[in-house]
Amino acid sequence: MTTLAFDASADPILQRRTEIQRVAAASLKRRKRSSRIAIGVCWAFLGIAIVPLVAVVAYVVVKGLPAWNVDFFTKSTVPEGIPGGGVWNAIVGTAEIGLIATAVTVPVGLLCGLFLAESDGRIAGAIRFTADVMTGVPSITIGIFGYIAIVITVSGGHYSALAGAFAIGIIMLPVIMRAGETAIRGVPNHLNEAALALGARNATVARRVVVPAAMPGIITGVLLAVARGLGETAPLLLTIFGNQFLQWNPTKPMEALPLVIYNYSSQPYADLLQIAWGAALLLMVVVLVLSIGSRVLAAVLQKERR
Amino acid sequence: MEVRVPVDSDLTLRETPGPRRSTKHLLAVGLVAAGAFLAACSSSSTPATTTTAPPGGTLSGSNTAYLQADLKAPAGTLNAAGSTFVQPFFTKAFYTYTSKNQGLQVNYQGVGSGQGITSFEAGTVNFAASDVPMSASDLAKVPASSGPVVQVPDTLGGVSISYNLPGVSKRIRLDAPTLAGIFDGTVKTWNASQIAALNPGTTLPSNAIVPEVRADSSGTTYIFTDYLAKAAATAWTLGTSKTIAWPSVAVATPKNSGVAGSIKSTPYSIGYVELAYAIQNNFTYAAIKNANGVYVIPSLNTVAADADQKVNVTPTDFSIVNEPGATSYPISGYSWAILLQKQTNATAGSGAVKVIDWTTHTGGGQDLAAALDYVPLPPAVQNQVRTQLLTVTGPSGETLLTK
Amino acid sequence: MTTDDNPLPGGARRGSRFALPNSAYRAILGAVAAVFVGLVGWFLVSIVLKAQPAFSTLGFSWIVQKTWDPTHDKFGLLPFILGTIETTAIALVLAVPIGLGTALALAYLVPHRLRAGLSTTVELLAAVPSVVYGLWGLLVLAPLYRDYVEPFLTTVLGWTGLFDGTDQGVGLLLAGSILFVMILPTMVAISRDVLAVVPNEQVEGAMALGATRWQVLRKVVVPGARTGILGGFTLATGRALGETVAVALVIGNSNYIAHSLKSPAATLPSLIVNNFGEATGTELSALFGAGLVLLVIGVGVNALARVLVRNVASTGGAASVAVA
Repeated sequence: MTTLAFDASADPILQRRTEIQRVAAASLKRRKRSSRIAIGVCWAFLGIAIVPLVAVVAYVVVKGLPAWNVDFFTKSTVPEGIPGGGVWNAIVGTAEIGLIATAVTVPVGLLCGLFLAESDGRIAGAIRFTADVMTGVPSITIGIFGYIAIVITVSGGHYSALAGAFAIGIIMLPVIMRAGETAIRGVPNHLNEAALALGARNATVARRVVVPAAMPGIITGVLLAVARGLGETAPLLLTIFGNQFLQWNPTKPMEALPLVIYNYSSQPYADLLQIAWGAALLLMVVVLVLSIGSRVLAAVLQKERR
Repeated sequence: MEVRVPVDSDLTLRETPGPRRSTKHLLAVGLVAAGAFLAACSSSSTPATTTTAPPGGTLSGSNTAYLQADLKAPAGTLNAAGSTFVQPFFTKAFYTYTSKNQGLQVNYQGVGSGQGITSFEAGTVNFAASDVPMSASDLAKVPASSGPVVQVPDTLGGVSISYNLPGVSKRIRLDAPTLAGIFDGTVKTWNASQIAALNPGTTLPSNAIVPEVRADSSGTTYIFTDYLAKAAATAWTLGTSKTIAWPSVAVATPKNSGVAGSIKSTPYSIGYVELAYAIQNNFTYAAIKNANGVYVIPSLNTVAADADQKVNVTPTDFSIVNEPGATSYPISGYSWAILLQKQTNATAGSGAVKVIDWTTHTGGGQDLAAALDYVPLPPAVQNQVRTQLLTVTGPSGETLLTK
Repeated sequence: MTTDDNPLPGGARRGSRFALPNSAYRAILGAVAAVFVGLVGWFLVSIVLKAQPAFSTLGFSWIVQKTWDPTHDKFGLLPFILGTIETTAIALVLAVPIGLGTALALAYLVPHRLRAGLSTTVELLAAVPSVVYGLWGLLVLAPLYRDYVEPFLTTVLGWTGLFDGTDQGVGLLLAGSILFVMILPTMVAISRDVLAVVPNEQVEGAMALGATRWQVLRKVVVPGARTGILGGFTLATGRALGETVAVALVIGNSNYIAHSLKSPAATLPSLIVNNFGEATGTELSALFGAGLVLLVIGVGVNALARVLVRNVASTGGAASVAVA
């Protein structure tokens, strides 16, 4: 607090100014303290968020890494008692199902997200609400729907990887829609308006201005959806059926990493359990690689665009 | 004096499947006889018996011929689904079959007995596997045009009562009424009078018992509750079913592996798990009082002894719990393979019957059972399986199982 | 299509050579949205058809009955409805503050160079398959909860009456905690992205007015990102409501109404996943009915969230665009 060169107590204006300065200083001290505490809490929360992460990842690494050897990646699954098995057929299956599901849901989800972001009408509101509710449907129910709709009705009683991709796609779609919409809405209005003012049509604005600007958020949404989709078991149980043998044809039953984890982790034999953990570690690494890779890709694309 | 019944670890059947089995069988029969002799000579107050179990029948002479023909099934792929209990055994058997046959692949998935039956009713699998045969209401769901359904036993297993009791090294003995009390919540602590009475000389802690049960529908639950209903009679009121309304004191976890994991990490817990899980996890399991009053622990031999007492099992009369016999382990049961009697596709149908026939007979798949802690089918049962499979016909009415 | 009726001086080329007319663009977007609606409709019809036998046999009141005992033909969903709501509530009570705090830290407090790395690290939690969470919860966390966490909480918070009963490890508290860990990456990732794009002018304006860091965050940044945070919250809630395998492994699967946070319980999804494989007849229909009830709960939770946000809505930046 400033010291004054003359006696201020006599002048009411100066008195008032002193009072204000005192209050302001006290307020600043108080606000700074609560700010420090609140910021500290945020840091603490960040720490708390990291703890389970480290615990789970460490656990999976410790239990899964011993399973990683050449056979693990190149041979298909074998029953208990036969040495030298791996999860190659499951890797192929997960990759195929993931690719098909992503290839369909990302464009559809993005377009729906655009639709929702651009309109505030009641229909759009209802669709948005429906998408939110759909994210809460248990994966087993979606798996059952995939079984009824694709395995029984559409293919007349045949399990297939396509049915699995369908079910996984339904899980992923609302996530991409909503995350995409959120990201697109986050783009500052002035970019949108500037482009329109330059005479661009809505499609152009969307393609060249809004979507690129929203790309980080869209990528986050897609990644969250893919991470969830790759790791879901229940929908796969009822649709792709599983396959001990290598299968490339998506219209036939196929194996997948989450299925292997689920099946092997519920058996009593130690070597199968180890393969289950190895598969879990592999899934995590795959999603990590996708996550890093897509962010790098996005950064490269952003630079080019500039 | 406690009867010393051969424990599985004595014979270490795990590493030696195949040709050495006959030697082990003789050894097992010898030890069973010795055990029965000891039981007859014992001066304990429990009723002693001198009966030795009948050997369970003999294999028909044409077995080898059929097995050779089984390996000549036409090439192709079959899908089968059902019981998780048989999954390790089936996948190993089918894998071995394919490596010898080189043409026919069988893709078996353990989706659960009920889901297997549903898939079978919907026609999405060539054959199904279930721990409990299809009931009348299940059979009614199969379209009449599909024809009758053939159900045959394909594996045999025991349910162990495993527990986690720190500080007590002597094996606990239990009988059906006490088990009923533990699992319906009326027997609450380890030192309760019912348990103490069966285990004189053992200091039991006063901690509360934590019963570990299955959260999901399960054939294992069915076999266990079937035993309680038959052996404990009026003491067990919760019924015989794959899904039971357990008391709130019970901790329920999905799947055998879940229950096993829960028992392992919960002191003072007790639960029912398939024998394979108990063996692989080195659990301590209780000695259960059988119909002869003898306290028996589950092992491949004691389960086989129980099954040998009743070899005429049918889909409507399939329970083998609590059979007589000094060495019978009372909590045992079969698992069943299910297929249509009138196959619409000769190739697929022929493949299905041949693979099932090969899997259920000694010299074929049954030789692989013991290594995975499954009990081989009694020979008389194997003969009946073949008789049933011989009734399966192709689209033109031809018998598909040939010599 | 850009045509020559408006040539640029000097013959310069325009950037885009083909642009959909606005009407076609709207039509395509509308068509894709209609595909989504059709899919959801197909889904609803399938589930309702399969659930219908249960309702025609049992009426409607069975949904709020207390006993689930298919062997004796008794069906009731009340314990599972309560279990679903309680586990989700625990997960959200933990995930909203911790998720927001973490997102704020990642967007504004962490040094730039560490930002991407730490963000990816937190998102890595989303990469863990749900069955792994369940197994880790059962094998690692449950004994910890039974031996340390639950006794501690009972000592400290037992007076609330929420911590009665024995320490078993598995139960509502553990299930809620596992769900919290599973939904955290969703909450953090989406919130962080939205928080980071709050317009700089607003942040700088607040700082110019003398606001402390926390005041800027609380009064400008978070409200400015409010809609996006709601979106993250909604997705997180959805995941918590619908999680099946992980919850089934750690919740204790007791078919009775839980009377304390430490009790074992069950949720609608865990009921379905545990029994679907073996259920037939009325029980199977009842499980589909449980799925429908879960949908209704989802509708209720989402509607409630919207109402809350609309009520709390003051002005604030780009936020108040339609929350729907």
